[in-house]
Amino acid sequence: MSACDDYRCLVSLFLDHELSGEDAEDFLAHIASCGDCRRFLEEEQALSQVLHHARPLYKAPETVRARVSGILSSGENAGLFTPERLRQRIVRILASPLGGVGHPAHRWGWLSAAAVVAILALLLTPPMVERARADALVEKAAATHRKILEGHLPMEIQTSSPEVVTTWFADKVPFHFQLPESQQAAMGPQNYRLVGSRLISFRGSYAALTTYEMQDQKISLLVVSENSARAEGGDEVESGHLTFHDHAVDGLKVITWSNHGLTYALVSTLSGSARQSCLVCHQNMADHLQFSQHP
Amino acid sequence: MSPDPHRKQESAAGIEHIDGLYGYALVLTRNRSDAEDLVQETYLRAIRAMGRLRDDSNVKGWLFTILRNIWRNEVRYRRNAPETFDMEADERAARVIDENAKTPHDVYVGELERRHVRAAVQQLPAEAREVIVLREWEELSYQEIATILDCPIGTVMSRLARARSKLRGLLTKLLPKGYLRRAEAEATE
Repeated sequence: MSACDDYRCLVSLFLDHELSGEDAEDFLAHIASCGDCRRFLEEEQALSQVLHHARPLYKAPETVRARVSGILSSGENAGLFTPERLRQRIVRILASPLGGVGHPAHRWGWLSAAAVVAILALLLTPPMVERARADALVEKAAATHRKILEGHLPMEIQTSSPEVVTTWFADKVPFHFQLPESQQAAMGPQNYRLVGSRLISFRGSYAALTTYEMQDQKISLLVVSENSARAEGGDEVESGHLTFHDHAVDGLKVITWSNHGLTYALVSTLSGSARQSCLVCHQNMADHLQFSQHP
Repeated sequence: MSPDPHRKQESAAGIEHIDGLYGYALVLTRNRSDAEDLVQETYLRAIRAMGRLRDDSNVKGWLFTILRNIWRNEVRYRRNAPETFDMEADERAARVIDENAKTPHDVYVGELERRHVRAAVQQLPAEAREVIVLREWEELSYQEIATILDCPIGTVMSRLARARSKLRGLLTKLLPKGYLRRAEAEATE
């Protein structure tokens, strides 16, 4: 390798500001005395200039910018400002005497009344908002299932073990989620198979998505915290202490229910009522009577 | 006046890097909707982990590392899925107005140049695409790039040299004849 080859290797480093001190001085001294290397440097500078002219190469669409801004400012960013903490803070504020922080009470008269109204508004989420959240969950579950059917949504973990799925979600979702082991003591062979899981974003937080296969059918189960959405709307079916909500969305059947602080959305292309759909998987399980037809 | 707390939080979470992250996501995924999901997912995960970030941490490098790790996991599970290059989306995503352009002619020339550069970058192999974007557009140091790509600095240097050489060849074909020469003359002025 000639001396010029060595210096040409340094051209990129020089242009990228990765050459300094004596190395840079030595390089510049060579460039000043060598026409060929100077030309090589100029060619590289020209390429660099064309690339820099093209900046910015891409610009994030407004929709993405808005979504990210929403995530950052929604106050639902896990660990920093969860709705649960907000509620606890409000409860503490309510529990403490108004005006009892060293200020004369009369200065706080109208303010405290306004604060109580605002706090109550926060605590008692209007039914309209609850319904919008429930609908958003149904939409999200259906859209997610459609992506799975189209092969556009790979699972982050592929396993047939409910225990592995439970462990995988443990430090990833902002709620305690446990996939039932062995599907509630199966009485016969299971007619469906666990495929895998992945995280899904929902209302600025994480949801747990698990997929199953049954013959040629794909079934997906989306689980969110009840704080994000509660099961509402659709055709209601009572079963034991649970209420199932049966929704039809563009040829997909979405069944939602809330239980123990979590809300579930089960999506499939199965036909029949919610009760019949449940029986498809639960027919060989100890709890199958819970889903059998009733008068 | 104290700054808007939302703005402050957005800044702390690196919202100013959204264009760069989106560009990087596009060269990795070569698909607009995948790139959008990847950027959103990056911010979601960054927000969750922000508490562990030190005050003097390099937020930009950290965000790019998160994005790349998510994509690597995604690729691992996609395996046989065909790569789809949404060229039309690439064009839509790339409509950028050059704020420094003085005349409509400047705007036109700038856009033409940008389009050729984008086309050339998208023809590079995956390894070359990402290293060239991280260095030429994001201006990250070799050390930062090495951290993001999880490889030695020497690998960054050799990939960058190969990427530039290929890019030069592609741009010579795509750009009008003598364009690089003129740029060369401007660079030495």
